[in-house]
Amino acid sequence: MKLNDLLVSLNDLKADYISLREVSIKSLTMSVRNEIFEGLSTSEDRGLMVEVMMDGQFAYGATNSFEPSEVRACAQKAQKAASEAARFGLAKFTHTERPMTKGEYKSPNETGIDDFNPKSVTKLLMDVSEAMKVHEHVIARNVYLQLTEMETHFIATNGSDIKQNINRSAINLSATASSELGNQRRTFGDDHTTQFGIDKFDHSKLVAAATRIASEAIELLNAEECPNETMDLLLAPDQLYLQIHESIGHPLELDRILGDERNYAGWSFVKPHDFGALQYGSPLMNVTFDPTVFGQNASYFADDIGNLATREFLIKDGTLVRGLGGLESQKRLDVPGVASQRAVSWNRAPIDRMANINLEAGNSTLEEMIKSVKRGIFMQTNRSWSIDDYRNKFQFGCEYGRLIEDGKLTKLVKNPNYRGITAPFWNQLKMVGDKSTFEVGGLSHCGKGEPNQLIFVGHASPACLFTNIEVFGGGK
Amino acid sequence: MKALQSSNFEAFSKQIFALLEADESMTLNFSGEETIFARLSNAKIRQVTNLQQAFIDFNFIKGNKVLNFNIPFRADENDFSLAVKKISQSREWFMDIPEDPYLVRPQHFGITHEENLKTLPTNEEMLAQILDMGGNVDLAGVFTSGDIVRATINSVGQFHWFKTRNFSLDYSLYNVKQKAVKALYAGSDWSTEALKANIKDTEFKLSLMNIESRKIPRGEYRVYMAPSAVSELLGTLSWGGVSMSAHKQGSAPLKDLWEKKKTMSPKFSLKEDFTLGLTPRFNSAGEVSAPVVELITKGEYKNFLVSTRTANEYKVETNFASEWESLRSPVVETGDLDRSDIYKALGTGLYISDLHYLNWSDKETARITGMTRYACFWVENGEVVAPIEDLRFDESYYSFFGSALERVTNFSELTPATGSYFQRDVGGVKTPGILLSHFKFTL
Repeated sequence: MKLNDLLVSLNDLKADYISLREVSIKSLTMSVRNEIFEGLSTSEDRGLMVEVMMDGQFAYGATNSFEPSEVRACAQKAQKAASEAARFGLAKFTHTERPMTKGEYKSPNETGIDDFNPKSVTKLLMDVSEAMKVHEHVIARNVYLQLTEMETHFIATNGSDIKQNINRSAINLSATASSELGNQRRTFGDDHTTQFGIDKFDHSKLVAAATRIASEAIELLNAEECPNETMDLLLAPDQLYLQIHESIGHPLELDRILGDERNYAGWSFVKPHDFGALQYGSPLMNVTFDPTVFGQNASYFADDIGNLATREFLIKDGTLVRGLGGLESQKRLDVPGVASQRAVSWNRAPIDRMANINLEAGNSTLEEMIKSVKRGIFMQTNRSWSIDDYRNKFQFGCEYGRLIEDGKLTKLVKNPNYRGITAPFWNQLKMVGDKSTFEVGGLSHCGKGEPNQLIFVGHASPACLFTNIEVFGGGK
Repeated sequence: MKALQSSNFEAFSKQIFALLEADESMTLNFSGEETIFARLSNAKIRQVTNLQQAFIDFNFIKGNKVLNFNIPFRADENDFSLAVKKISQSREWFMDIPEDPYLVRPQHFGITHEENLKTLPTNEEMLAQILDMGGNVDLAGVFTSGDIVRATINSVGQFHWFKTRNFSLDYSLYNVKQKAVKALYAGSDWSTEALKANIKDTEFKLSLMNIESRKIPRGEYRVYMAPSAVSELLGTLSWGGVSMSAHKQGSAPLKDLWEKKKTMSPKFSLKEDFTLGLTPRFNSAGEVSAPVVELITKGEYKNFLVSTRTANEYKVETNFASEWESLRSPVVETGDLDRSDIYKALGTGLYISDLHYLNWSDKETARITGMTRYACFWVENGEVVAPIEDLRFDESYYSFFGSALERVTNFSELTPATGSYFQRDVGGVKTPGILLSHFKFTL
C-alpha cells in the first residue's frame, strides 16, 4: 500500500494530526588493515514512524512492517499513548508546531551504493594502507570507508509532503607507530564525511595523506612531551570541529536548556534570558546553523517534523542570538530556534539536534596568526574530548602539536592537551582565520537522547588563535 | 509480535541454509524488541514511542572469503526475497574481494533456549504509577519496558535463543537549585512498593543536596567512589583497555600491566562473570564463553579479552570474547570496607556518587579525564559538610586501581545496562565502592 493510502486509511482514528515518516536506509562499510581485507558489510533497513497528536500531545508508533494491519495497530498505540499523555503532558501543542511544507531534496552525490565496485574500492583501500608502510614501526595501518543512503518520505494530514535523499560517504585513515618509546597514532582527521559520492575520493590525494600521517606518527614517537604551561593556542579546523560541537552545539540545544536531557547527556549553562544578551565569545566569533551548504554532511531541506530549514546565525559578533531547537522547544521556551528536530531513523522520535554548525571565516591568514604569537602551540586533529554536563569545563587532546616561538613554528611535541571553560575560552578568541584556512568537515555519530540516538552532523571552521590557554602534555 | 517468536526465526533460517552451496556456510544473528520508551521531564511525559523491530545480521562465508549483510525481519515473505537478493549480490561480490586469512568459521557450540518472560503490569499502569509518585518532585529520565531477543543460529546446527522481558526507570531527581541525585529502578518483577521505596530513598538523598554547594579548589584529595562511579571507570576500560587486538595494534592503555612492568593493587580484581545472567554467554559467532574469565587478579594481569579472529591472527588462545573485545558482564571483587564505615574511613575528602564523560587523557600512562556528576559531597572528619560544584579529574588506572586504592567495600551494586543506541542493550556491571588515598582534580 502506498504511503498516502496508508495515511488515508487512518482517517477514522479522528486524531488532531497524523504524520507518516517512511525511512529507508542502505549502508555499506569496508575496511582494510595492514593490507589485509578486514570486512565488507551492507545493511538495508526500512520502517515507518507514525506520529499522532491528540488534545495537544504527540505520541509515536514505529514498526518495520508495512502490513496495513500492523501500521494501524501502531497508529492506535500512538493514539492511545497521546490520549493518556494528556493527563501527564509537559506542554500543549497545536498545529502551529507542524507547518505545512512540500518539497524535495537530494544530495549532490553522483555515485552511490548501487555503483559500488568491490574490486576497485578494495584496490583503493589496499593502496592507501600500503602507502602508510613508511617504517617498520608503523604496526597498524587502518582504512575504513562508509557509504550511507537515507531516503525519507514525510506526509501528514496537514498536506505536508517532503521527499529527501541524503546520501553520504566517509573515509577514515589511521596509522599507529610503536617502538620502545611508546605508541603514537595519527589519523586523517575527522570522518571526512560529506554528501558527495565515492567518485570524489581522489586516489593520489588519499595516498599522499596516508604517507604523511604515517610519517608524522613516526615523528611523534621521537617527539618531546608537550609542556605544561599557559600559552597561546592555535587550533586547526580538524580540532575546532569538536570544540564547536561540544562547547557551542550542545549547549545551544533547546531541549538541554529546557532540562529534557538532564538525566542523560546533561543540560546547559545557557539560560533562556541569555539569548540576545550573552557575550558568548569575542566579537570575532560568528556561528551559523547552515543546512544550505552544498555537499556538507548535514544539509537538508526540512527537519523531521516538516519545518523548512534555513541558514541562521546562532552567535553574531560574539553575542548569542538563537538556539538549536525545533518548533516544539521554541514554543516551550519562547526563544528563537531553527529547523533541527531530527530523528536518526524511523524507529526514533525527532528531538532537538545539531545539523551543520559552522564557525564563519575571519580575516587572518595562518601566517599572520603564527607571526603574532610570542609563545604558543599549534594543535591539529582531535583525539580525546570530555566536557561537563552543563557544557562548561572541557578538556581536549590532540594528535599533533608544534610549538610557536617568537612568531615561528618550531619544535614538534607529542600528547598535546588543553583545558578551559566554555564562555571564557571563546572570549579569548584573538584571531580568526580567513577563507584560505577554512575547512568543511563532519561527524558521523553524535549521541544524545532517551532513547539514545546517533546522528550525523556537519562542522566547518577556519583555523583560530586563542590567548592564555592552559596547555599540558602526557606522562605521569 | 510474530517476528520475536523463535519458531519463525528458526524456520526462516532453515529456508536460507537450504540455499547454500557446498563451499558456503552461514551464521545468522537475530536481534529484536517490542518496547515502550517514555521520555520524562519535570515528572511529566515529553515523548512516548511504542516500537517494534527485528533484524538479522548474516555472516556469509564462501571458500575463504566472508561478507556480512543486515536486513529487517518481519516474519513474512519479504524477508526471504530480500535475503535471496543479498545472497545473490554477495556471490557476485565474492569474485572481487580478497580472501580473509583470519576467517572464523561457524562451529556447533550446542543448542540453548532461554526465555524469561514474567508478567508485568501494562505499560500504562506502570507509567501512571511512576508519574503519580514522582508528581511532587522534579524528575527527568526515561521509562522503558518490553521484550528483547538475542539469538544466533548457523548452518552447522548451532542455535542459541535468549528472550527476556524487563523494565527500567532510569531517572534523576532535582531540587530547586537544580542539584540532582541519580537512580535506577529496573528488573523483571514490578513492585509498586519497591518503586515507592526507590523514589523515597532518592528524595531523601536529594534533601542532602539542599545545603549550599562548596567550590573545591583543584588539587589532590582523599576520595570515596560509590559503585556507580566505579562502573563508569570500567566503561572506559571497555574502549580497548582489556582487548588483545587493541593491545597488539598499539592502542591499549594497559600495556605495562600486560608486560608485567606494572601491577595494580592486590585489592583489585576484575573478571567477566556471565553468572550475573544479564547477558547471553554466546557472542555474535555463537561461541560460548566460560562462565567466568579472570582479567586482572589481585592487581596482576591474567587475561585480555580475545576473540577467535584475534586468536587466529596472533596465534593466541581465544576466550570467545565479542568481536570488539569489550566487557560484556564485568564484575569487580569486593573487599572489607563496611557500608557503615565509609565516611569514617574517608575522614576528610570527597564522596563521589557518579562520574561523567570519561575519555583518555594519555593512553600511554593509562590516564583518563572526566567530570564528577550528581550527588558528590565534601566530607570532613567523617561528616558530610556540603555538596560540591562539579570538578574535572585527570588520573591513571594505575593510581585509582593501584597505588592509591586503600579499601574496597564489602558490598557491590549491580547496574543493568540501559543504553538504547540502535536497540535496547542487555548486560550490566557489578561493582563495589573504592576508597582512595589520593585522586587528582584539575579544573
